[in-house]
Parts: sequence; C-alpha cells; structure tokens
Amino acid sequence: MRFVSFRPATCMLATTALLLIATAPSQAQTRAETLRYVTGSAVNTLDPNIPGSTRESFALSMSTYDRLVAFGRKQLNGKWVFDLDTITGELAESYDVSPDGLKLTFRLRKDAKFQDGSPVTAEDVKWSLDRCVTAPILGKAQLLTGSLTSADQFKVIDPLTIEVTLPKPDKLALPNLATVYPMIINSKVAKEHATADDPWATAWLKEHTAGSGAYVVETFKPGEQVMLKRDEAWNRGSANKPAFFKRVIIQSVPEPATRANLVERGDADLVVDLQASDVQSLEAKGKLKVVSTPQYNAITYVSMNNQMPPFDNVNVRRAIAYALPYDDMFKAALFGRGSPLFGATWADGKPANGIYPFQQPVKLDLDKAREYLKAAGLPEGFSTTFSFNVGQAATAEPMAALVKESLGKIGIKVDIQKLPDAQMSTQINEKKLPFFTEGVVAWLPSTDYFYRNFYTGNQRWNYSSISNPDLAAIAQEARFEPDKAKYEDAGRKLNAMHFDLMPQIMLWQPNQDAVMASSVEGYTYEFHRQVDYRDVSRK
Amino acid sequence: MMRAGRRLLSSLPALFGVLVFTFLLMRVLPGDPAVFFASGPNAGKEEIELIRKQMGLNKSVPEQLVYYLSDIGHGNLGRSMMTGQPVLKDLRERLPASLELTFTALLIALIAAVPLGVMAALRPGSVVDHGVRLFCALGVCVPTFVSGLLLIYVFYYLLGLAPDPTGRIDVFTSLPPQRTGFLSIDFLLAGDFEGWWAACKQLILPAVSMALFVIAPLARITRASMLVSLGSDFVRTARSVGLSWRKVVVTYALRNAILPVITIAGIVFSTMLGANVLVEKVFSWPGVASYALDALLSSDYAPVQGFVLLMASLFVLVNLVVDICYGIADPRVSIE
Repeated sequence: MRFVSFRPATCMLATTALLLIATAPSQAQTRAETLRYVTGSAVNTLDPNIPGSTRESFALSMSTYDRLVAFGRKQLNGKWVFDLDTITGELAESYDVSPDGLKLTFRLRKDAKFQDGSPVTAEDVKWSLDRCVTAPILGKAQLLTGSLTSADQFKVIDPLTIEVTLPKPDKLALPNLATVYPMIINSKVAKEHATADDPWATAWLKEHTAGSGAYVVETFKPGEQVMLKRDEAWNRGSANKPAFFKRVIIQSVPEPATRANLVERGDADLVVDLQASDVQSLEAKGKLKVVSTPQYNAITYVSMNNQMPPFDNVNVRRAIAYALPYDDMFKAALFGRGSPLFGATWADGKPANGIYPFQQPVKLDLDKAREYLKAAGLPEGFSTTFSFNVGQAATAEPMAALVKESLGKIGIKVDIQKLPDAQMSTQINEKKLPFFTEGVVAWLPSTDYFYRNFYTGNQRWNYSSISNPDLAAIAQEARFEPDKAKYEDAGRKLNAMHFDLMPQIMLWQPNQDAVMASSVEGYTYEFHRQVDYRDVSRK
Repeated sequence: MMRAGRRLLSSLPALFGVLVFTFLLMRVLPGDPAVFFASGPNAGKEEIELIRKQMGLNKSVPEQLVYYLSDIGHGNLGRSMMTGQPVLKDLRERLPASLELTFTALLIALIAAVPLGVMAALRPGSVVDHGVRLFCALGVCVPTFVSGLLLIYVFYYLLGLAPDPTGRIDVFTSLPPQRTGFLSIDFLLAGDFEGWWAACKQLILPAVSMALFVIAPLARITRASMLVSLGSDFVRTARSVGLSWRKVVVTYALRNAILPVITIAGIVFSTMLGANVLVEKVFSWPGVASYALDALLSSDYAPVQGFVLLMASLFVLVNLVVDICYGIADPRVSIE
C-alpha cells in the first residue's frame, strides 16, 4: 500500500532524470563560425543615438554601421588597445586635413555599399552627420566636443567627396567622427520612414538598421538577445575581406556566475563583465584565455563635494587622501586587477608628465592625515556619509567598509549609504552627496578633455563640484593648443593643481577582463569598453 | 458565468486603487529616471531635459496621472526606457515565459507535495513523517537562487546533463510560430518534437528550483488537513464498512482535505509569479519579474506600473479560478 502512494513521486523523479539525460543536438559545423558573446547588460536599441541606449547598443552599432573613419590599434604592455592617435579610413578611402586645420576633406571608397546594395554617397554622409548635430539625440553633445555643431559645416563636394569645416583647429574633431554616434546611415531608406514629427527617423532606426556595417541584424529581441549575420560584401576590415565570424550571438545573461560557467564550459566564446573573483579562478585554471587591459580611458574616484562643509576645506580633503587604505582597497575591491593611481613618488615634488590620469603621490599615512585635520580646525574629526550605487556593490561594498574603518582611526565617523542606481545619479546631479565613490569614462581621453569635462562647470560629471577659474582657463586654452610642448606644460600645471587642491581622489583604472575560449584571437580593448565583434576571429 | 462576471466587475475599484497607488509611489520614490538614462559619456542638462519631456516628467504629477489614466483607457501602458519598447509589448512577450515557468513549477510542487503530505499524515510521527518535515524545512530555508545555482553547478557544470541555463530555448534552435506563447505548447502544435524537447530541458531546472521552495507550505497544509480528515467520522465509517484503502484515502479523505490546499496553491501561484525574480535572474529567464526589477532599479516608471497592474489583474483572476475549483472539489461551496 505504501508502494502505491510512492508512485507519483517516483514517476516525477524518473521523468526529471530522463529529461536531463538527453543531450542537445549540436550544430558543430556552424559553431566554429559563430561567436557567442554573453553579457550582463543588453542591447536596447539599434541606434546608439537614442537617449538611454546601453553600452551594448554602442558596441552593436560599431558592427552594423560604418563611420567615415576608425581608430587604429596599438599594443600597450603586450595587449591590443584602441589608438587615439592613429585614425584610419573606414568609409573614407583617404582624408586630408588642411594646413590651418580648419578643413577636413574625406574621399569615400568607390566600392562601399549599404546592406541593401545601394552605394554609399556623400549625400548619405551629409544626411547622417546633419542628423547627428541637429536631431535631439546623443550625438549632439558628443560632436560638440569636437567643435562640430551645425549642419552648415558639412558640404558635399561631389558624390564621393565631403568636406567638413571647423571654426577653430580642434584636435578632437577627427577622432569624434570615429566615435559611436556619427554613423553613416542609408539616407534614402531612412527618409522613407521619416515623418513630419520625426524628420530624422529616430523611431524607425531604433528598431531597424540601414547601414553599411560588417554585420546584418537577423533577429533583435530587446533586453534578451541579438543575432547578427555577416555581410559578405563588407571589406572595410584590415585585410579587405569580410569579418571573420559568420554569425554573432549577443545574449543577455544577468547572473555573473552563470556567465562564468558558460564560458568555462565552452558554450560561450567571450565575456567581458565577469566578477573579479571569477576571473581570478578562471585564470588560475588556465583553460581559457584571459586578456586583462587596464581601462586607460576610465577612472574610479573617491569624490568629495568641494562646496559642502567640511569638504570645502582643502585640508580636510588632503586628510582624507592620506587616510585611505589604498592597497587594501585595491585588493579587496578589484583583487588587484587594474592600474593604481596612488602611491607615486615625485622626486622633485612635481608631476612626472602632463598626462591625465596620473599616479598621485598619496599613500596611507595616518599621522599626516591627523595633521591635516588639525590644520583644518577639526582635530576631533567629524561625521559624514559615504555613498555608492547598488550596481557597483561588488567592488564598492568591500571598499566602503575599509574606508569606514580607516577614517574611524582619525576620528571621522562614516555611515555607509548604498543607493539604487537612479537615485545615486540623481543625487550626484543635484550635488547632494558629500562623499562617495563613482567612476567616469572618456571616449577621447586627452588631458584637457578630462579636466574640461570632469573638473569644471556646475554639471553632473563634475563630481567634486570644484569651481576653480584658473584650472578651467588652463584646460580651456589647452584644448586648442597646437604646440605639443606647450600642451604638455599645461598638462603638468593642471596635474600639479589637482594634487594641490585634491578635489577628489583618483583610485585606480580597473581592468577590463576579457575571458574567452582559447581559440578566440584578436580581442582589442575599444574606447566604448565593449567588444568590437569585427576584431575577433577563431584560429 | 454571470457570477464570475460580477466578481470581476467588483474587483475593478481595487484595480483602480492599485493603479493610482503605484503611480504615486513611483513618483514619491527618490531617483530621477531622466538623469539615470542620460548617462552617455557626454549627456548634459539638455539630454536630461529631453528625456524628461519624452517621459512626460516635465508636467505636474496630477496632470501626469490624468494622462496616464487616459492612456491606460486606450490600452497603452507607456514605453519602457530600458528596452525602448512599448510596455504592453514587453509584457505580452514576457508574461508567457513567466507563466510557463510558474505553472510547471506549481505542477511539480503539487505532484510532489500532495503525496508527501498524504504519506506524512498516514503515519504521523513515523520516519516518513520526519523525513518529509526535514525535506520541507530544507526546501524552505535554501533560497531559490542558491538552489538554482546549485542545480546549475551539478547538472550543467559538473555533469553536463542540462543545457546551458540561458533562457527558454537553446540559441541555435529556431522558434515555432507563436500561438500561445508557451513554448512547450507551441512546439507541440507545430509538430516539432525536437524543439519541444529542447524547450522542456530548459524549463526543468528553473522549475525544479522554484518548486523546491513551495513544496513545504503545500505539503504541510496537505498533511494538516489530511490529519483532520482522516480522524473524522465519515472516514471511520468508510473504514468500518470495509471500503478499499484507496477509496477511503483518495476519494473520501483527500477530496475533503483538498480545499485548503487549493487555497494555498492559489496564493503560492500568485506569489511565485512575482517573486520568482531570483530564479529568472539565475537562469536568464526572460520573464516579467526580472523585467520589473530592472525597471525598478533604474526608476523606469512605465514598466513597473504596468507590472503591478498585471500582477493585480492576475491575482484577481487566480482568486476567481480558485473559487471555481472550490466548487468542483466541494459542490456545497458556490461563489456568491
């Protein structure tokens, strides 16, 4: 009798076992030609210009659209990274910069075709660039940093030549055209889908592509996955042949441990957003290839609000700078995976060069910190809050605990505040946080760009809310400085000011840990910090 | 039928209340979605204003509410900033995934829990009873994401029996034409048994990890009500007239004991649908709960509101179904 009552349970177990035992029918022949890339984020639009688009959308657009020019690549400590100083033609066969630096002339490739087979013309280029500076989209703010602001600046000379004029010789004009936003769209197709309310077809391009890129979008499920098919006619790669992989699958897998399992089991080929602890254990096992590149255009800070007491006092900021347990934080948050921006030794007390970001000569020195606190008139310390956002919790949480412990030793009582991402960005924007950790990234990392965007103005990215007219003036002037030696001088001055004023503390540049199957080659760290699928191949 | 309709009508005010409450709650929560979404490397004040306008946040809250209600009246739940899609479309695509998972999990849970509960009740205090209690306690105290990760580790990573835990279907399998949205049904309708098999394999691990968590309440409640039912007069009478064991336990005792189980199952179902977010995250399941959580973290108002409305409506529906099931289990109960 008891046996009878057991039956359903036994049945269920048997079915479960049976279901699990069957193996998937593999498609081995196409698997080698397919790149399966997994990520915690997701593609949410096919046009990266749409406000709110994710970094994955940026990366996707690099493969689905071409730009006039592209960044070259160089080796940095044995790893491939994008090279801001080498700009090669993509849709442009060649380009000229006039001697006064005010005119850029691009000659288009004769063989370049859009994915629908129609040729890429100067008209398309003009329409696309016009769209970027006119339509209410993200490209506008980006191109502004390269003095590209109006449609009048783009002129069609003949069907294969386009000329860009600049009000000032701006070093960043050309690199800006290689960034994500100024992609070249098939204007004939886009115009067909434009409406009176939406003359630049933003709604249509969000869900469709009309480009000349290396990959064609096969299926697009926002927030889940995108499948790409190679465009066989595309030849803008380095060796005049199409991209290597016939198919690319970009799939969202929110759980980092699952992503690690997938790549370790060989079901995924490439992942760039694993947790540092997983990367370390995968690297130790030695089965996979791990390419760790310091994100040399990204910085993690501990920021202090320079307008808010007590952090408006420079000695308080210096005290904090000498009271952070840098080495422990670096190990706890990143397992040491990154480049530190602390612990330098400046022999003559001056910055070694004019490049930002740079290593500051700060280290844990509690006696020095106490002296600075005394100088600030706060020998007994004070209380404050230290905030970070939930999205960064994996690295920021251990870091915050160490900050709290260490500052406690010099009498500063710290409350740790963990904020949802949207709330954190709102509070930063409204300048309400006294003391927090955040990161920044610059697509075009030059010294003046960093100082102009992250240390001036009453805007979100000026985390420390510093308002120093001298610093702003030097940075502004450096922007249009053609002379390299003078530019370097300005950089040194700015870096010396940074150390003196200590508006915020640069901690490190975290590594981008790309973990891939050992057969995958050619991975390059790109300015958008995602994978450019055109770079990679399989041996 | 009429009664069911009336019940649905009477739940409308509650739904409306939920609607307005969620709307206000989202506005009261700190965090400006516009700032969050304007997070390109160069997004400044202008972009923030632009997004604010797009999301209708530049208007006053009462005005926004009026617009929102009229939109709902037209069947428009707004647009998600996160996925860039209309919320209605997102929910329509994701709800079947959640429902399929939840139904399967509930089915597994019921198939396991009811016999376990009955067994425990038949021999209270025996080894079997204690075994069931231990099993239930374990199921409840291991959070679903832990059991999920554990199952993945054993069946996918170590043994390689399960397919990779990435959503509803292997990326290389082509999808059947969409009819019900339930992949296991759509594949059958399309006559594609290989695909059906692939979909089932994807489903089994997440469903089991969810089921493990809810077996406990179901088994415990079955045991308790079976004990009452087994000790009652009619069972004693049935036994004394020499009816077969099967007839006594299954037909008389269990049928009378099943009412509270149905109630709990209804509640468990509604909770599971909203609370399976962890399982959805671990298995990359494209369901509504993980969608709502992502939206909540980024203060994306429209999807959260849409989700709450959906959950409230489902809750009403589930309660209705539970009431109807009562009627079937016990004809004395009628829905008034």
